Amino acid sequence: MTTESGGMTDRTPVKLDRSDVRRAFWLWTFFSHANYNYERLQGTAFAHAMTPIIRKLYKDPEEIKAALKRHLVFFNTEPNVGGVIHGAVIAMEEQRANGADIDDDAINSVKSGLMGPLAGVGDTIDQGTITPILLSLGIGIAAGSAAPGDGNPIGALIYLVAEVAVMTALAYFFWFQGYDRGREGVTSLLRSGALDRLVTGAGALGNLVLGALAFQFVHVFVTVSLIVGDGHFELAKLLAQIMPGILPLLFTLLTWYLLTRRRVSAIWLLVIYLVVAMVGAFPFFAGSAVDPTTQCPSILHEFYQPECIPAATPAP
Amino acid sequence: MRRVNASPLAVRVGLLLTTVLFGALFLASPTLAQNESAAGTSDVVKAALVALGYYLSNSPFLAGNGGFFGLYRPLVAGFFVGVIFGDPVKGAEIGAAINVLYLGFISAGGSIPADPSVAGWVGTALALGGGLDAQAAIALGVAVGLLGTIVFFTRMSVDATFAHVADAAAERGDITGVARANWLWPQIFLFIISFVPAFLAVYFGSAAVSDGITWLNTNAPWVLRGFEIAGGLLPAIGIALNMRFIFRGTVWPYFFIGFVMAAASNGGLNIVTIGVIGIALAALHVFLIGDRAERAMQPRGA
Repeated sequence: MTTESGGMTDRTPVKLDRSDVRRAFWLWTFFSHANYNYERLQGTAFAHAMTPIIRKLYKDPEEIKAALKRHLVFFNTEPNVGGVIHGAVIAMEEQRANGADIDDDAINSVKSGLMGPLAGVGDTIDQGTITPILLSLGIGIAAGSAAPGDGNPIGALIYLVAEVAVMTALAYFFWFQGYDRGREGVTSLLRSGALDRLVTGAGALGNLVLGALAFQFVHVFVTVSLIVGDGHFELAKLLAQIMPGILPLLFTLLTWYLLTRRRVSAIWLLVIYLVVAMVGAFPFFAGSAVDPTTQCPSILHEFYQPECIPAATPAP
Repeated sequence: MRRVNASPLAVRVGLLLTTVLFGALFLASPTLAQNESAAGTSDVVKAALVALGYYLSNSPFLAGNGGFFGLYRPLVAGFFVGVIFGDPVKGAEIGAAINVLYLGFISAGGSIPADPSVAGWVGTALALGGGLDAQAAIALGVAVGLLGTIVFFTRMSVDATFAHVADAAAERGDITGVARANWLWPQIFLFIISFVPAFLAVYFGSAAVSDGITWLNTNAPWVLRGFEIAGGLLPAIGIALNMRFIFRGTVWPYFFIGFVMAAASNGGLNIVTIGVIGIALAALHVFLIGDRAERAMQPRGA
């Protein structure tokens, strides 16, 4: 078509094989974070993934040099879902090598324009939903109930296999979606709302599992008793009669409120909760000290599991 | 300069390492478990295996996802540490407990609040070596996990150097050089800064933690009690961090349904059952609200 674009007229057509695109996919899947750094983030990994493509498409040393430099710039996205960008860029490089009028700016704008939105969508799907759901399943199986020793370690392997399989399949799907649909196709895919429905459905499932997990793992110990006449009412038992698990639920919501609405950092919350736990455990009055022989304190118990929690066992 | 088939070397090395290391861990696990009960695996070997696992969890060699989405998670790390120490059940229990804290862990844009992989590998190893139970191990895992961010920030800073190595290779038109600047040199550096400290921490730390716990048990048992109470409170942070992402839009009510289902049955409904109910409800939700699903493409944030 354009005869002015730097002697691109006489080149023989170069066509990428499916295997070239797949090779680039594996390079990216393996090494997207191999050289993760503050200056370019995944920049060198992008160039690394493009090496089989560059090798196939460009024979002129100057063009190779230009292509390598083009893909060494700053880049950062979610590596699995974000592979749709790489797919589209590979399609663009293929067209460019065959004489289409695609300049550096066009390729750069696709990369920098899509990497942000796809990082958001990808992180929500991968790290925000799929991973915690599968982790919850694995943790639930591996941890067992509160008693030590009744967990099943197969939970860890179930998580490992399922997670890696799901993530890699997802990445493969998005990579080839990008390559097959090209630049315009990717944009229309993002506009179609399919990803939104996926994120919404995953969010519903994630919330349900997270709620169950909050009950399983969050425990709030309350020791306050109300003494009315001869009656001795333990606050924890009173609350449990209102609703089982009401304290862990309120405590989790409080933590969420502090994190999101009050913008308290997670590190601060860690420190505060540790201090609160230590103060709560300190025997201020001689009478309420932990009995070291039974390890079964009178003042501390969990309201919905009345039997006392076994203490840390010393090393033999 | 243009060597055909030179680039997949990285993938071949990765696949080879993946196969060999996973294979070795699986094959060695019964032997290690038996050695523990019989003679006791050498502490040096144990510490080295834990440190290697920690390095691998941050390396790209386990098909990428097998690192960050696999060994990096304390649940998986705890299991393998348990295998190394001859007690996979307890290891996985400790790993699972530590992992609850990192349920909301999201690494975005190169910033992490803490390092789950250190908490999982080194934290579980120290807890097993020191004889801590799962709930008390959470606090230990947190402390170690915070220290682990040092390795992450060092790596993120120093690795920028290799981007300039890649620039120089690109200037020469050296495709293989660019590839190596991405996968080889940074990994040698990462191995040094992750394996060595983890090895030292596990090798010397186990005895120290064990001694410390014994001392606390006789002199200040309330500290251990405090660890356990903290073990009940801290998971709320992990869960709340994750709620930042999904407790919003039209789907937040499911959080309460899930909580009440678990609370009302008091453990009677296991997490897999709840997961199946969740998939059904999620499908219903998407069918019913259809295209009114909230726009995921909008910027994140509260």
